[in-house]
Amino acid sequence: MKDFFSRLFKKEGTRSVIASLISIVIGLFVGSLLILIVGSTSKNLSLTTAWEGIRIVLMGIFSTGRDAAGALTWGFNPQSIGNMLFRATPLILTGLSVAVAFKTGLFNIGAPGQYLMGTAVTLVIALSIPSGSMPTIIVWLLAFLGGMLAGALWGAIPGLVKAFLNINEVLACIMTNWIAANLVTWFFDATKIFQNTVENTKSGYIYMTDYGRVMVDGAWTYVKGSGVSTPKMGLDRIFPGSQVNGGILIAVVIAVAVYILMTKTTLGYELKACGSNRHAARYAGVSDRRNIVLSMAIAGGLSGAGAALYYLSGNTEFFWSTYQSLPATGFNGIPVALLAVNNPIAVIFTGIFMSMLNIVGLQLTNLTAYNEYITDVIIATIVYLSAFSLVIKILIGGRKKHKATAETQTAHAQNTDAKNTEQARSALPTEDTVGDKTPEAAGTEEGGERV
Amino acid sequence: MESENIIEMLHITKEFPGIIANDDITLQLRRGEIHALLGENGAGKSTLMSVLFGLYQPEAGVIRKNGQEVKINNPNDATALGIGMVHQHFKLIEVFTVLDNIILGAETTRLGFLQKKEARKRVEEISERYGLKVDLDAKVEDITVGMQQRVEILKMLYRDNEILIFDEPTAVLTPQEIDELMATMRAFAKEGKSILFISHKLNEIMAVADRVTVLRKGKYVGTVETRDTDKQSLSNMMVGRPVQLEVTKAPAQPGETVLHVENFTVPSKGHKRNAVNHVSFEVRAGEIVCIAGIDGNGQTEFVYGLTGLEKSSGGKITLCGHDITHASIRRRGQDLSHIPEDRHKHGMVLDFSLEQNLVLQRFRENEFQHIGFINQSAVRKYAEKLIDQYDVRSGQGPVTTARSMSGGNQQKAIIAREVDRDKPLIVAVQPTRGLDVGAIEYIHSQLVAERDRGKAVLLVSLELEEVMSLSDRILVMYEGEIVGELDPKNTTVQEMGLYMAGAKRKDTGGKEEMGA
Repeated sequence: MKDFFSRLFKKEGTRSVIASLISIVIGLFVGSLLILIVGSTSKNLSLTTAWEGIRIVLMGIFSTGRDAAGALTWGFNPQSIGNMLFRATPLILTGLSVAVAFKTGLFNIGAPGQYLMGTAVTLVIALSIPSGSMPTIIVWLLAFLGGMLAGALWGAIPGLVKAFLNINEVLACIMTNWIAANLVTWFFDATKIFQNTVENTKSGYIYMTDYGRVMVDGAWTYVKGSGVSTPKMGLDRIFPGSQVNGGILIAVVIAVAVYILMTKTTLGYELKACGSNRHAARYAGVSDRRNIVLSMAIAGGLSGAGAALYYLSGNTEFFWSTYQSLPATGFNGIPVALLAVNNPIAVIFTGIFMSMLNIVGLQLTNLTAYNEYITDVIIATIVYLSAFSLVIKILIGGRKKHKATAETQTAHAQNTDAKNTEQARSALPTEDTVGDKTPEAAGTEEGGERV
Repeated sequence: MESENIIEMLHITKEFPGIIANDDITLQLRRGEIHALLGENGAGKSTLMSVLFGLYQPEAGVIRKNGQEVKINNPNDATALGIGMVHQHFKLIEVFTVLDNIILGAETTRLGFLQKKEARKRVEEISERYGLKVDLDAKVEDITVGMQQRVEILKMLYRDNEILIFDEPTAVLTPQEIDELMATMRAFAKEGKSILFISHKLNEIMAVADRVTVLRKGKYVGTVETRDTDKQSLSNMMVGRPVQLEVTKAPAQPGETVLHVENFTVPSKGHKRNAVNHVSFEVRAGEIVCIAGIDGNGQTEFVYGLTGLEKSSGGKITLCGHDITHASIRRRGQDLSHIPEDRHKHGMVLDFSLEQNLVLQRFRENEFQHIGFINQSAVRKYAEKLIDQYDVRSGQGPVTTARSMSGGNQQKAIIAREVDRDKPLIVAVQPTRGLDVGAIEYIHSQLVAERDRGKAVLLVSLELEEVMSLSDRILVMYEGEIVGELDPKNTTVQEMGLYMAGAKRKDTGGKEEMGA
């Protein structure tokens, strides 16, 4: 038994999981600490409210509200969990998008732009095809594939620029993000027909895909209930009252497919070879240019698919005036991927975790005097720490390694030494980039999309 | 009391996590002697010198100077004790002048102002006394590597160091420069300075050192007088088993032409001048042709141009009868295998496992994939076969991360991969760089075996011994041109050195050019 654990512990994967878990624990701790500080220093709040806030932060997903006496109640909350799974769907896909790019040595910070292009094309296809002209499943598929393709093409642009002009993909991604934001705004502004005018109380939204295009008295108009939406696949019966649909299952299937692509196929092998060592890949006759473009296109396609699954739910609407902001879902793919150490299967869980924090934030706002920005602090802490996860891994691995090799005495000092410094060095740039990017991501989170 | 030993390192033990780099090592340096420190890579030479220079603190053991125990906590302490070191990779500031580099850190100042005139006078005196010619006003980036080394030596002398450490000083020098360095070292010893000379080149040690201390795998093997020993027994001490130093090979039996290079030109990245300028030669089946030369004379660019890693700007390359001048890397790979100069840059994906690295070019072949899915068991079987056949050692076999393997075994893996691809031409660029005697012996025998199997071998090497012992024909490259073709049986290292330094040239290249 002890043997089994020590072997498990030596595994790279185990150490990654532990490192990520440590990041999460510290993140939650910092969030709780913040509540404690706010609660104990504010005149209007008390330690009792702080304790309530902390409990919500830690177990908010199981919160069922307050009872008549005003005490917090706990239990299985199908609505919270269903919504958590629903919101996890696009996060898993943007997380996969960033992870695939990372695996191939590229930093895809263009996920928001790819996500927006996917959104726009999905909506246009779903809302353009007249209701009843073809089976809804076909319309759904066309819209989904269209969104994915749009994302792929949008992602391919920074890839092309990087491959042929050697312009840094981060730069190109940031620019294509804002081009997408303005392009989409302009398009929906100019076309007008997709703007929701049926529900007079709202302005600035595009129709939900639940609305179908129908001819009424010789004019095209939109009627609720005659459009397309992702099948619920029975999930609505498990989680009644939530927005959940089959999209989460599709996301899981895609994650598994990405895992297989990256680990079992020659294409994945080529992509990873290019990412780890472009020179060696070239030396081996692998076209590094083709692989850079391909990798960015796959990443873009995944972001686009995320957008398609989110908006094809039929109960989400798109706030089209996005020229000032980029969708947070795109940027949040970065922490999702980082926390999952770029493992596609792990992305499923970290995506769900991030979405859980989201729900927890809502619960905080609804049930306590604190608000959802606490969860932003938690996410930010976790992102910082996941950049350190390499260091954490070395720390928890170093002691074990010492023991193991002391017995065998085979390793070469200079080798281990060089390796450690190299690892430490490679950890640093990640930390830098993340440090640079997070403020921006946080800054653009307002607005963007509304549910 | 004047002790015979100026520096004594007694029972030094230095541990790193998981490994004992120095295990109870004793080194005694006598006043006025040249003492060589010999050992394979990873034997602990550098660690020991770093301990002496104050970069590492030993876990156990003492250092004595003139019989007095001293504590060396950092390089400043070492300098104060008169210990100076010429590092393998020079520590000079490229944009500073030679003079500025020499006085840096030991400036003469008055009221905070530099007194360069006095400094210059002293440096000039020293350089004259030892015949170390340098141009004090030239910038370091503009002077030759040999002169840079003289600057490093002057730096030590300027600080009145009496214990001089030379870390692999000859790796970057021409034969003539090596001779000069040896003479300088002898002159220092005569003056009473003590020299520690780190090397794995037996010829040089035999030529210049008085005594040799041999380390193996972090342990002290012994100290011997050079006059009581020979190269063979030194290398046996170093490796721990009898090693074959000389390459044994039958005369070459060249067959048909495999590689034909005509007027080949590769532009340079930094300069307007071509890095490779109108080079013409051919390599035939069953012979080892070596391109010799000092580093940076176009050899790297030539290989890049030949293998397709960089674009050529003129000339023609014919490989096995096909014109491959503009072919893709993959197409070229069908007829040539390439043991690259930089095994970490080109040779391996360090984050991949050993087995993934062993199929770096071959993963697309039907043997290893089926409709785009990698046939994992076939890859594993193939990797196990190569590992077994070429004795590639690693911690966990096929799944070992390449990064965690030792340099020698990484190189063995690359050689296994390239030789097993079984192509008519093998391009081997510095295949033994940084390897120890045991690994070098193995790689040399592999290359000769491939030659005898009828392969054409193009070897690019900076090691003169390797060039002389391995090749059937030698082409000397100087400033991007082939300046001489030599027969290793009828030439000497000295003659080759003259060609390498550009002092002598035959018009072979030109003649062929006119003929073509």
